[in-house]
Amino acid sequence: MKQWVDRLYARMDALGERLGEKQLRIPVDLTAGIVFFLFAVVILLVMPNQVVVSDKDAVDGRAFPTLLMVVMMLCCAMLVGKELYKLATKRPMNWKDIHLQTELKALVILAILVVSYLLARVTDLFVVGALVCSLGFLVYFRCRKPSYYAITLTLAVAIWAAFRFVLNVDF
Amino acid sequence: MLQYIAPATGLLFTLENILWINIGVFVGAVFAAIPGLSVILCVILFLPVTYTMTAIPGMMFLLGIYCAGGYGGSVSAILINTPGTPHAAATMLDGHPLSQQGRTKAALKIALYASTFGGIFSALMLLFLGPQVAKVAAQLGTAEYFMVCVFGLTIIAGVSGKSIIRGLVSACLGLLISCVGTDPMTSYDRFTFGIPRLYLGLDLAVCLIGLFALVEILAKVEKKRGDLHMDTRKIKDDGKITRQEYKRMARPVLMSSIIGVLVGIIPGTGASEASWFSYNTAKNLSKHPEEFGHGSVEGIAAAESANNAVTGATLIPLLTLGIPGDGTVAIMLSALMINGLNPGLSLFTTDGDIMYAIMLGLILVNLFMFLQGKFLTSLFAKVVSIPQEILTPIIVIFCFAGAYSVNENYFDVAVALVFGVLAWVLRKLDLPPVPILLGLVLGRMTETNFRRALLISNGDPSIFVQSIYCKIFLALIIVAVAAIIRGKLKEQKAAKAAASQ
Repeated sequence: MKQWVDRLYARMDALGERLGEKQLRIPVDLTAGIVFFLFAVVILLVMPNQVVVSDKDAVDGRAFPTLLMVVMMLCCAMLVGKELYKLATKRPMNWKDIHLQTELKALVILAILVVSYLLARVTDLFVVGALVCSLGFLVYFRCRKPSYYAITLTLAVAIWAAFRFVLNVDF
Repeated sequence: MLQYIAPATGLLFTLENILWINIGVFVGAVFAAIPGLSVILCVILFLPVTYTMTAIPGMMFLLGIYCAGGYGGSVSAILINTPGTPHAAATMLDGHPLSQQGRTKAALKIALYASTFGGIFSALMLLFLGPQVAKVAAQLGTAEYFMVCVFGLTIIAGVSGKSIIRGLVSACLGLLISCVGTDPMTSYDRFTFGIPRLYLGLDLAVCLIGLFALVEILAKVEKKRGDLHMDTRKIKDDGKITRQEYKRMARPVLMSSIIGVLVGIIPGTGASEASWFSYNTAKNLSKHPEEFGHGSVEGIAAAESANNAVTGATLIPLLTLGIPGDGTVAIMLSALMINGLNPGLSLFTTDGDIMYAIMLGLILVNLFMFLQGKFLTSLFAKVVSIPQEILTPIIVIFCFAGAYSVNENYFDVAVALVFGVLAWVLRKLDLPPVPILLGLVLGRMTETNFRRALLISNGDPSIFVQSIYCKIFLALIIVAVAAIIRGKLKEQKAAKAAASQ
């Protein structure tokens, strides 16, 4: 078992080293501007389906979200315009480095969270999700101390018990 | 005011309230002492717990966390030269050097005394200024309230990120999310996308757990915190502060408390700004400026009294106008509103006994913070050494349990997860999350006042610039935006100059 775990860690280290060298560079303001401009356009397009109004309404439920989306589009246009101006005048744009290794690690953590949530939901036992979550993070952090496992699992059960029996949350 | 003091005292001094204050103070001090865990994260994690409580114990618990967070950050700043919270950074400059001189207990004691003074001073200011500001707020109509909301959102959008434009995009996103669910004026559904559960809207606590707590868990991959070993044996000096040192501290403590209150009243500014501003002012006015940075008692006292003096002051615009002074108190607004307490003059009249109990409670919170700080600081320091292998899953379980407990269903846990991923993406795009929080909190109030004002004026938008108060707020918005842009340009220039050097 110990050998198997060591081998797994060694493989992950090798993968991490390879990914550590890889990174993406994105023009962050330009990307944010375009993404949220498109988001505002989509919201404006779905508004007639999603916000029901009556002819009697003097100021209907679409007025405020429409105002917000117009403001968002103006802000995004300014972000994009500023970056395009920088591009045209050959001044440095705002760039951000995205490290693939970091993103992969974030995905692993997200997977632990999603699996814990799904287990709790499927079994309808919150404590099962809490225990799996604790184990998942201890393995992620490569913890080798048995006392840490004992403390974390005990605390996980204690939190569930506190919510269940002290705060009367039904799970 | 006096007619409310007696009933408020009766409501406040119950065993339940005293217990929740002490739990809040302990939890807040421990969270703030752990570098990487913020006070806002702590308040978000424990917000669902307050949903089962009535207004006074719920607010006492959250205020306990908030105030003790101001002091807790200084424990790690003094002991291990790492500020537990950003606003403890100024304390670190003199706190740790004093600790290295073998006066750890004295440094902690100065921080505690100054924090307590600043906190109580601020609570008294809230007690006296709050009702006066509320009287002015009572004269505001719907158009004026809309302008107040725009003012609060603009300032926070401006100061919470690197760019005011990105802050405004975040604020719009937060306001849009607050539109999900039933229309507050017509009761039609909006943006439910066929999901029946969305008819009820998105719960603030659930969204915040994702936006501020789960995203921190995902961010663990970016910064690995080394194990923090706080040597509590350091706290073995006699902790004696001489009469001369007390004399030297008196002026900076009082001045910094005033600065803290003034800074705290302005929405968007907070404890960090107050502590740095006070630290620099104290240094400039000191007879011993050469000691600053080398363990000056005045430096510790100035920074700590200022960051705790912010706590009561941020509640003044919150309780009177509904405009939160910072992100943490924005969350407290939802704890108030869930108990049917809406900001404004009625809070100080109709619900006067509850409101005065909360304001008097703030003084009590500071007194218990003083007692816990005096006797439990060694324990705070030990808890800080919890390894992240244990801490991280515990926080996640708290997040999930908190999200579930709001409505007792797993849909909310899924919503929290979605908001966690959204916050991660926003972080990659450099969009600040605090304006989203403000948008979520102020969304309903902003929209209702916007639409009511337009209904009154038959759709004429000039109503937003007609009254004198509207004009004042418009002028304030313009001045604030100009000041923010000027500040950002200065920062950019300084950064460019530093880069060229």
